[in-house]
Amino acid sequence: MMKYNYLTIEQLHQKLINKEISVEELVNESKQLAKDLQEKCNVFDYMIENPEIKEVNDNLLSGIPYGVKANYSTKGILSTASSNTLKDYVPFFDATSIVNLNKANAIIAQKTAMDEFGMGGTGTTARTGIIKNPWDHTRMCAGSSAGSAASVAYGVYPYALGSDSGDSIRKPAAYCGVVGYKPTYGMISRYGLFAYASSLDHCGVFTRSVKDAAIVVDNMKGLDPKDMTTWDSSNINLYESINGDIKNKKLCYIKEICDINNYPNATDELKKHLENFHNVIDKVRKDNIIIDEISVDEKLLATVASVYNIIAFAEATSNMSNLTGIIFGPAGSGASVTEQMKDHRTKGFSPLIKRRFVIGSYVLQRENQDRYFKNAQRVRRLIVEKWKNIFKDYDAIILPVSSGPAKKFDDKSIIDGPTKILEEHLQIGNFGGFPSITIPCGFVNDLPVGLNITGNIFDDANVLNIAYAIESKMEYKNQIVKEVK
Amino acid sequence: MSKFTKEMVDSYAEKLLIGLTEEENAMVLSEFDVIDKDIDIVNTIEGIENVEVMTHALDNMQIKELREDIAGVTPDISDLLFNAKNKIGREIEVPKVVGNDEV
Repeated sequence: MMKYNYLTIEQLHQKLINKEISVEELVNESKQLAKDLQEKCNVFDYMIENPEIKEVNDNLLSGIPYGVKANYSTKGILSTASSNTLKDYVPFFDATSIVNLNKANAIIAQKTAMDEFGMGGTGTTARTGIIKNPWDHTRMCAGSSAGSAASVAYGVYPYALGSDSGDSIRKPAAYCGVVGYKPTYGMISRYGLFAYASSLDHCGVFTRSVKDAAIVVDNMKGLDPKDMTTWDSSNINLYESINGDIKNKKLCYIKEICDINNYPNATDELKKHLENFHNVIDKVRKDNIIIDEISVDEKLLATVASVYNIIAFAEATSNMSNLTGIIFGPAGSGASVTEQMKDHRTKGFSPLIKRRFVIGSYVLQRENQDRYFKNAQRVRRLIVEKWKNIFKDYDAIILPVSSGPAKKFDDKSIIDGPTKILEEHLQIGNFGGFPSITIPCGFVNDLPVGLNITGNIFDDANVLNIAYAIESKMEYKNQIVKEVK
Repeated sequence: MSKFTKEMVDSYAEKLLIGLTEEENAMVLSEFDVIDKDIDIVNTIEGIENVEVMTHALDNMQIKELREDIAGVTPDISDLLFNAKNKIGREIEVPKVVGNDEV
């Protein structure tokens, strides 16, 4: 019988300090749960047989196991980004965030599977196969950090690292019923995170409570000479900032995204999801929190997904031009170097990645740049400025995540029109580097759904405190998977 | 009718050293059409051509300090060679480039 997998980081730490449990027991339980989950849902890219046992000290994370997404560089541990192009790659260095967690005596327990190189929002393009949602095995976890989300939801460990370039932490968190937090861009160093789209990539974390997310990010963050986009956050202590007091805070939601009347063909799940969202809003309002409905130009909202696609695909094409099988990964075959590289890339990349590279290359061509790439960058500015203007009046924007609970693998419904922005609005958090957190907010047809809170850059403590206060008004904190199917 | 063609997609794929199947090619074409339609919306935004491009999430970020030159630890050569499949001593064997007809 599992004894510890439902506990928070604070509770686990206290039990370790009191010697009610040992690090070995904790790691063994984690391993057992991981094996069980792997058989059911295929969520790990690489399973670590003997995690390194570390001593417990004053740090809350000491002696506690955690999961690492497969696109973090971990010294001596297979790090493939779930791509066949790196299927045997064992790095000789740790990502800075891993170095920081090592200093905390945290224990790397597993490497989690993901959509290849972070591209894809379904958890279906990992080299190891489809990643299933532990709540319902016929449904996806979303992506790209699917394995991290699923393993935290299952209680394998209290937290796992993810990365987020569009919504890759915050949407899987909603689909798996856990917390997913992406701090302000540059709060956590990206050194050692395999680059996908550098201007959008963020490191972040999955937990089962807001406070746990604060604890983990406090230990991951910091100025890093190896990443010039990091900034000094030494005056920010997220854990200590959380007090649950959100009196006089002002939140808003966007009518064009949250009004059911905008969706003439709404599914039953969408109707229930939005109804649940508004119920939560009403509940929060009862505590004298102001939550206003505001309006945003639909034309601007309609462009979000394509702006993301153009910028992300262009940056990915450039970032991954070094994947040739010459320097890393299995060598391709062929009579010439060119043939060898083509063989490696054709066989190594999944169809989705190849398609994205072609689009990225096209929009970067000199003759196409202005119409596509630069216009996307211009709209990015307009959207970010709009959001920053909202933050002049409001502490945060609160919105539902996705158009319902986790989608079925065989769901063929077309996402377009207003549903597209409901599915993709989290990408705005990446456009502006905004701190953004998803928390579970209820159930639709016995499956978890989530809401997202996004605030202005550098305002992470405020965003987490708001999330903590709202989390405290609901009963989904620290929930573990209850399998539906 | 779409302005994108199968031949055009194959040409870009070739430049990227990627082989596409017929099915993959068709999917790229449909994705191009969606993006092109959305970019048409962008082009109706008044004054869009005068907006400065945003290249970075925190594009007003200023580097306040230049880092000092501090000697770091050089990784061990055996660590660096670990991922190389074909190696002789301290050297990695790579495909022949010079003298190849294609180059």
